[in-house]
Parts: sequence; C-alpha cells; structure tokens
Amino acid sequence: MSALLEVSELSVAYGAIEAVRSVSFVVEEGQIVCLIGANGAGKTTTLRTISGLLRPRAGDIRFDGESIAKAPAHLILGRGIAHSPEGRRVFARMTVEENLLLGAYTRRDESGVQQDMNRVFELFPVLGERRQQKAGLFSGGEQQMLAIGRAMMSRPRLLMLDEPSMGLSPIMTQRIFDTIRELQQGGTTILLVEQNALAALALSDRGYVVDLGQTTLEGPGHDLLADERVRAAYLGQG
Amino acid sequence: MTTLLQQIANGLVQGATIGLIALGYTMVYGIIQLINFAHGEVFMVGTFGALAVYRWVLPESVQDQWYVALPLMLLGGIVVAVVVAVLMERFAYRPLRNAPRLAPLITALGVSVALQEVVRLWFPDAEAAQSFPRVFVDAQVDLGPVQISATGLLLIVVSVVLSVLLQTYVNRSRMGRAMRATSQDRDTARLMGVNPDRVIVLTFVLGAALAGVAGVLYGAHLNSVDTNDGFQTGIFAFTAAVLGGIGSLRGAVIGAFIIGLIKTLGGQYLPGGTQYDYVWIFVVLILVLVFRPQGLFGEAERVRA
Amino acid sequence: MTRLTGFLPPALARPFNAVGAALLVIAALLPWATFLLNDGAFPDKATLQFFDAPLAVTGFRWQLLLIGVAALVLAFVRIPGQGRVLRALGWGGLAIGVVGAIFIASEGGGLGAITAADGTTAFGSIVAVLGGVALVLGSTALGIPDIPDWPTRFFGLSGWPLRLAAWVVLVVAFGGVLYLVSLTLTAGGIGGAADPYAGPIFLAFLGFAGALLGALHGAGVTRWVSRLSEEHRGFSILVLVACAFALPFTEAGSQYWMQVAATIGVYAATAIGLNIVVGLAGLLDLGYVAFLGIGAFVAANLSGAGASALGWDLPFPVAALIAAAVAGVFGAIVGSPTLRVRGDYLAIVTLAFGEIFYRSAQNDIGELTGGASAIPGIPPISMFGTAFNEPLELFGAELPSGVLYYFLIVLVVAAIMAVFANLKNSRMGRAWIAIREDEDAARAMGIRTGKAKILAFLVGATLAGLAGAIFVHKLGTASYESFQFLESVTLLAAVILGGMGTIPGAVLGASLLFVLPEKLREFDEYRLLVFGLALILIMRFRPQGLVPDRVRRAELAGETAMGKSIEEAEEQAVLEHEEALSAQKEDRR
Repeated sequence: MSALLEVSELSVAYGAIEAVRSVSFVVEEGQIVCLIGANGAGKTTTLRTISGLLRPRAGDIRFDGESIAKAPAHLILGRGIAHSPEGRRVFARMTVEENLLLGAYTRRDESGVQQDMNRVFELFPVLGERRQQKAGLFSGGEQQMLAIGRAMMSRPRLLMLDEPSMGLSPIMTQRIFDTIRELQQGGTTILLVEQNALAALALSDRGYVVDLGQTTLEGPGHDLLADERVRAAYLGQG
Repeated sequence: MTTLLQQIANGLVQGATIGLIALGYTMVYGIIQLINFAHGEVFMVGTFGALAVYRWVLPESVQDQWYVALPLMLLGGIVVAVVVAVLMERFAYRPLRNAPRLAPLITALGVSVALQEVVRLWFPDAEAAQSFPRVFVDAQVDLGPVQISATGLLLIVVSVVLSVLLQTYVNRSRMGRAMRATSQDRDTARLMGVNPDRVIVLTFVLGAALAGVAGVLYGAHLNSVDTNDGFQTGIFAFTAAVLGGIGSLRGAVIGAFIIGLIKTLGGQYLPGGTQYDYVWIFVVLILVLVFRPQGLFGEAERVRA
Repeated sequence: MTRLTGFLPPALARPFNAVGAALLVIAALLPWATFLLNDGAFPDKATLQFFDAPLAVTGFRWQLLLIGVAALVLAFVRIPGQGRVLRALGWGGLAIGVVGAIFIASEGGGLGAITAADGTTAFGSIVAVLGGVALVLGSTALGIPDIPDWPTRFFGLSGWPLRLAAWVVLVVAFGGVLYLVSLTLTAGGIGGAADPYAGPIFLAFLGFAGALLGALHGAGVTRWVSRLSEEHRGFSILVLVACAFALPFTEAGSQYWMQVAATIGVYAATAIGLNIVVGLAGLLDLGYVAFLGIGAFVAANLSGAGASALGWDLPFPVAALIAAAVAGVFGAIVGSPTLRVRGDYLAIVTLAFGEIFYRSAQNDIGELTGGASAIPGIPPISMFGTAFNEPLELFGAELPSGVLYYFLIVLVVAAIMAVFANLKNSRMGRAWIAIREDEDAARAMGIRTGKAKILAFLVGATLAGLAGAIFVHKLGTASYESFQFLESVTLLAAVILGGMGTIPGAVLGASLLFVLPEKLREFDEYRLLVFGLALILIMRFRPQGLVPDRVRRAELAGETAMGKSIEEAEEQAVLEHEEALSAQKEDRR
C-alpha cells in the first residue's frame, strides 16, 4: 500500500487566528483514516484546506505524489478527492436527482453517471423513491445519505466525510457507518472526521488525534481506542 | 374602452423591453447579490452596437431588407453587449468579490456613468438622440379595437420566447444546474467541481445577450436611441426584478409586464398624467420593497438560495 | 503603488534614490517645450525663460526643484520613514513630469515638442518622468517602513509649557494647511482665455501638494498633528475656524474663489450629513440630494421671491430652520422603511424616493417648485441690515462680494462638524456604529435599531435641508436640475473618497469633487467619464478613502459582497492574510 494523501505540517489561519498550526497525517490507499478531536480543534479546517476552499499558510498537501496545496477548489474534485462537507450542505431547492447530477458535474460519461446514480439508489433506497423531491424536504439522516451519495457520484479515489453522524439518531448513525465500511470494501479510500470518536476509531484502520490545531497522537484505530489518554479526553472514560 | 385596451397593448410592449433587461438583473443578483446598475448601460451599448452595424457594416443595398439587416444588427448588438459585460465583470467586479458589500454597488454606479460617457463622447454625434432605423416590417397590426406596431408585437413575442428558453436552460442544462448550485451555496458548488468564476461570467453573458436583443428591438420600435436611455430603463428593470421576486426568472418577466402596464395606465388614468408615470413605478417599487421584499412570486422557482 | 515595491535589490536603493533626485533637479533646470505653443509660452515660461534666464526657475519647475533638492538631501540623510517620504516625493515628481509631457506633447502636436525640434531641445518633462520613476523604485527597494510614531508629549515638557508648545505646533500646522488651500485654489488662475494653461498648472501643483503631504504623512508628521489636535480638540477647532475665516485675506480672497469656496462649503455640509447616514450608521442612501432640494425649495418659498407660489417673506434664520425641519421630517419618512428593509434594498428605496422628488419637482408639484422654469429671483440673505452679496470691509481689508456667504457657510460647517463629532462619540453614535458593524448583534445587545436608524436619516436630512436653504439664497434660483441622481452619487463619492465616517474625509472629498471640475474646465467634456472611472478605481484600490476611519477597518472582515456566510468571511480573512504576507515578503526583498 502506498500513501494516497499526505498532509505535512499544515498550517491555516483566519486572519490573525491560526486555526490549524501543525497537522500531519497520511492516508494509505484503501484505508479508512479518521481525525478525532474536540470542537474547534481544526479538523474541519483541515478538510476544507485539502479541498482547496482555504489556502494553507504553510505546509504541504500531496495527493498521489503531487502537491495540491495551491490547486483551486473546483479542480480538486477532478483529481479524485470528493468532500462531503460538515452540516451536509445539500442543495435544498434542488431535487435529489439534481443534487446527484451536481456530484457528477465534472463527468461526461452519461451512462456511467446513470449507473452510479442507480448504485446510490441501491445503497439508499429512500433516495430512489423520492428522487424528484426537493432535498430541503428531507430529514437530517436522509440529507446525510444524499450528501454521501452526491460525493460518491464523482467516483472519487478519496472520499472525505465531515461529521457524517452529526445530529443523527443512533440507528441512523449505525447505518451511515455501515455504509462507510461498504464503500471502503468497494475500493474507496476514506478520510473521516468525527466527534463520535468511539464509533469512528472502531471503524478506522488508522486514527489521528487533533488538538488545538496540532496532531498529537496517532496509531491504528484499535490501539487508540485502548489508549488511556484518548479514553480520558474523548471517550468520557477515565 | 379602446383607450384602455390600447394602453394595455402599449404597456405590454414596454414591459417586454423591461423584461429582457430584468432577466439579467435578476440572474446576476441571484448569483453574486450585486445590483448591477450598469446592466441598463449594457442594454444601451447593445443599441448603439446595432446602430454601428447598420451605419458602417451593412451595405446600403440590404439596409432596407429587414430579414438581412435585423439578424445582423441583433448579432452586432449582442456581441457588443456581451463584450462590455464580460469586461466589466472581469475588471470591475471580480477584484471586489470579497470586498465589503457597498464597494461593488458603488463600482456599478461608476461603471454605469463611465459607459454612458464613453458612448456619448466617442460614438459619432451621440451627444443628442440618434435616429434608429426601423429594421422590421413597418406596419400597424390590427387586433380588434387595438393597434399595435409590428415591431412592438415582435418585442413581445421575442421577450416571451427568450424568457421561456432561458428558464428551460437554467432548469435543465448542466450549466444551468451549476448556476443554481452556485447561487444557493457557492462553496459547496466548488466542492462539486463547479468553477464559480465561469458560472458568473456565463451569467453576465446570458444577461448581456438578452439586454442586447432588447436594445436592438427597442431601438427599432422607437426609431430613436439616446445614451441616457439605459439607466432609466435599467432602474425599471430592476424594479421589475424586485417586484417579481429577485432571483426568479418568470417573476422578472411578469414583473416587467406589470411595470409596463403601471407606466402606461398610470400615465393615462392617474392624476398628473404621463409626467408622473415614472413616479408611480417608484412608488410601487417602494411599496413592494417595504411590504413584500420577496416579491410577488414566492420562493418556489427562485434561482437564488 | 504597492505593486511597485521591491522591484529592485536593496543594494540599488541608494544609487537609484540619488540618481532619481538628481534627475528631478536637472529636469527643473531644463527647458520643457521646444517651441512657443499657440496659446503663448508654456506655463511659467518653461520654454522662453530658459533662454534668457535659465536659473530663474518659477512655477511648476520651482516646485519640482524643491522636490528634487529635498529628495537629494533625504537620499543621504537617514530619517524615520525615509522610504515613504522618498516614495511620495518620487510620485510627485513623476506626476509633474507626466502632466507636463502629456500636455505639451498633445498641445504642441507630438513628441517633437518635448524632445527636439527645429534645432532646439527640451527634455525637461522626460527627465522628470525618469527621475520620478527612479526615485519611486529606489525608495521602495528597501521595503516600505512603518509610519513613525511621534510622542504627543515632547521635549520632556509637561503642564502648561507642553500645552503652549502643542498650541504653537497646531497653529503652525493649520496655518500651513490654510496656505496650501489658498495656493491650491489659486494655482493656475481661473482658467479660460486669460489662463490658457490653468489645467496643467493646477494638476502639476496637485502633484507637488500631494508629494508634500505624502512626505509629511510618511514621516509621521500628519499623524502626530492629528493626535495632537485630538488631545487639544477645543483649541484645534478654534484655530481651524480662525484659519477658515482667514482664507479671504489670502491670495484666494477674490470674488470668484469666495463663491467657489462657499459652494464647496454647502456640499461639504451636505456630505457631512450624508456621512452620518452612510459612514456612521452604514445605511446607503442613493437619493440624499433630495433633502438638499427640499430644504432649497422650502427656503425659496419662504424667501419672498416673486416667482414662488407661497410668496412668504420670512427672516432667513426662521426660513432656514423651517427648511431644515421639513427636510428632517422627510428624512424620517424616507428612513422609515429601514424598519423593514436592509442593505441593497434600502439603497434602492432611497434611490426611488430621490427619483420621486426629482420628477415631482420637475413637474412643479403643488406649484411649489416652479417646474422647468424654476423659482428665480430669490433675494440674497439679509441680516443686520446687510445683504450677503455685498462686499465687505473688515480690518481695513476690502473683501469681495460673496465673502459673507463664505463666512456663513464656514460657521455652518463648523457647527455641523461639532454635531457630527459629538454624535459620533455619543450613545447614539455608538449605537449607529454597532448597527453598521452587525445589525442583529446590535439588536441583541438591546439597541433599539429602528429608532436609531430613523434618527440617522432625520439628522442627516436636517443638515442637508439647512445647507439647501443657504444654497438657494446664494444661487438666487431654485431649480430641480440641481438635484438629480448624479448629484446624490457625487455626494456619496465625496464621502467615500474622503473616507467614510470621518469629518476631514467628508470635507476633503467634497472639496476635491467640487474644486476639480471648477479647476479643470477645459476638460469639462470628460468630467463625468473621469468621475465614473474614479469611482471604479477608488473602490478597487482604496475603498477606505483618503482619510480612513480607524474603527471602520473592522468592517472588512464582516459582510462580504458575495453573501454573508461566515466561512466566506473567514476564507477572505485568510486570503487577505496571505496577501499581507506576500506583500511583506516583497517589501523585505
């Protein structure tokens, strides 16, 4: 296995405020990697910087061996990185189908797009049943499915999911995590950002703890689950 | 009764012009929340572009054959309007994309003044109103008790057809989807691979093309064009866009027809006559903004978020 | 400007500075035109004088010489803020050179006029341009230093000696400003056939004045003076008013310039009023000139003018108060939609009100405005048995007619400034600023935003109405044409150009926007074009205006042109930060 995504000593600032100071991690092809950490630790900022919505102040982001730190957001997707943003951000006034088509915006193979859309509908039957409805009418869990489905539509090599379980019921959360596992088994590499550290670490091949804009701990998911410091800080167990 | 019907017909013709311009206003506002005051000027340069084609490009032998002259003038008007709109987006508005909100609005005023002056100073004889050729069947069409000129009828038909086409394009095409996505949530649209700069340029281009068409047909209808036609008509168009619900394409056109009717009917029946017809439009504008800022047509089909 | 920073390696800074300064000195001593232009010798005899008296340097060449010598000295003497000072001098020299080159070349029919023709040579303008460019490049090669801070307690003084010293500094500074204003007004004369070269001379002088002010600013002097004046506010206002009253006693005290100055005063007063609405409360008003118009028409109807429908003849102070009050009431009415409408939409509501006023006035609504025939024959203001259009004898000096209007408007502007300054630091002023920065947050903090916003409109409109009353008496006619949309845009531009939310800004902006057209009448054709382009360029390169408000900078991180999402604002902050970083890097290079 080789490093698909390599983030090294990333630093990002909003004006004078440094949201990310020194974040480094590696995502290997085929893995699920998660970033865990408290609110405001800089996880979302890191993902937004990888997808080009923010510019790094220092450090590098390499995807498949090439630096993408300076690439504009709309070209990142074409390189094979899809980003399902925090808070789902589905296009509320567009139908399910239109949302999915936007996910495949950069693709020109219509039959392939149709195939992938059907795959999303298989994965999330509720979306298929209501494909002509406006996304704004959906529940939070359904919107999350749509957001993930939309990100899958570009056939990414790396799928970045930001807080996919946020605001969802435990049952729905479980379904989303099952889906993530399925996607990995289908060959997609996944970078997961979660506050639900327990579930995320259990699922991940590798985990990184982000604290105050820095990666402080790293290790295989199960090792981190067992780490006392992690348990104390993020799993509410002393 | 005849007067009423006649004024309704006149109002519809005016509304058709305003509507074509209002579409550009509403699209641009929907995507970058900018009241592009200079859009009325785009309409005006379209008119003068077509006039230039007529005067200096068309050979005299075809000047009176409307089926040759009109398409070529339309082409000229559209090209000039689009070029001007693209340049102003690129050099005046784009650098201000992240500036405080007032900045682009004031820039738009500056662009508007500058464009008017450029045409007035350097288009030959444009200090005064210029006569514009009637490059279409010069006839009155009888519709029962009402007479309407062929050019007026053409304006109405073109306006309705183009707005339907635009609506279809925005709702069905890939770029249309990208436009709607950008207006709803620009960052997420970028995550989908949409390049907002391209979408914004496309929006300006579409708006300018429609304004160019409006300019040429308007000139042909009135037989006369002036460099300060643009601003006033532009404000009416903005009023129409607000009235219809800014961001809504259908709303803009319907709002424009209502504005046209208010102008002609208000001028006919309200105290003060035609001298006050402008005033009624502004009164309506204020009332709409104060009491129904989302416009007459709800949120259902808005391009904007 | 910053684009040009750091083009050169630091080692070349001093050679470029020295050569540039020397070139400016040489340029001042060279002839500028190869032959006599049709309208006579080029300003200050840049051609002829050279041949009979090459060292009798006057006019713009004298100014250039001053710039050059100063730069030459400063190239070798280290002073704080040196880079900035030299850069300002460089731009000034460049401006003088460019104005001369363009004007002589276009007037003289080609490049021959500024190079060599008919056996004579005249490379003055070209050398000046080269010198200016060299100086700008050299001065920025070491990076742009921070503006030095001078302490407001100096020479170890304290107590009354310090106060006295500060007062002396302020008197000198404001006296200097007065002298500069007088020079600016009279530079080039009043144009027309008598002064065929008024335009270029005036522009060249602006280059000189700009270089002077820029150099003082770069050395930290202006900032120091402004802080001193803040610490001694009462005294400063006194001196400022005294200086304004002294203007008629200077070169600029001719009838013509007094009238121009009084007109500028009217617009400055109006601009300060607008500044309350736009600069403090952040409410964009695109129909503001209507309030000036309302005040004007009310005053016209109460002036006893034969043509007015009402025909009342009230004493001016009463009429002015009524005019202000009526305008204020309309201000509150126009402001009332702010309870429901925000941002761009509010701008459009005000635009619509402005247009309604304009159309109504055009059509002589209620026979109050005279319509197309206007209300002519408004008598001059008459108080204490003196008509205000009479000349005046004061302290043995003959002051021209119009000077009384000038004195009146100075008093009014001073009063309005005081109102503005007090409002800005009052509870209401803080409420306005809070609304401007974030209306929802202001409301959440318990500010009654609706009341505050309407009050902003009311106060602004009242001031404009008062200005309108003076305006109409001074002019003698009240015509709807004075109150069209473009005037509103011009006032807005004055506020923005000067700097939103600051008093000197509004006055400076109004002065520039109304003096420039007066001075550059031979380019009158292009006035609006330049105006439009200027709006675009200001917004692009200096949206904070010439005299920025310190508080207002905060707004740059707020609402953005593309919507209000926090992420975007943050992202923009990041981009800005990057720009700042790269600028720093460039500076260091």
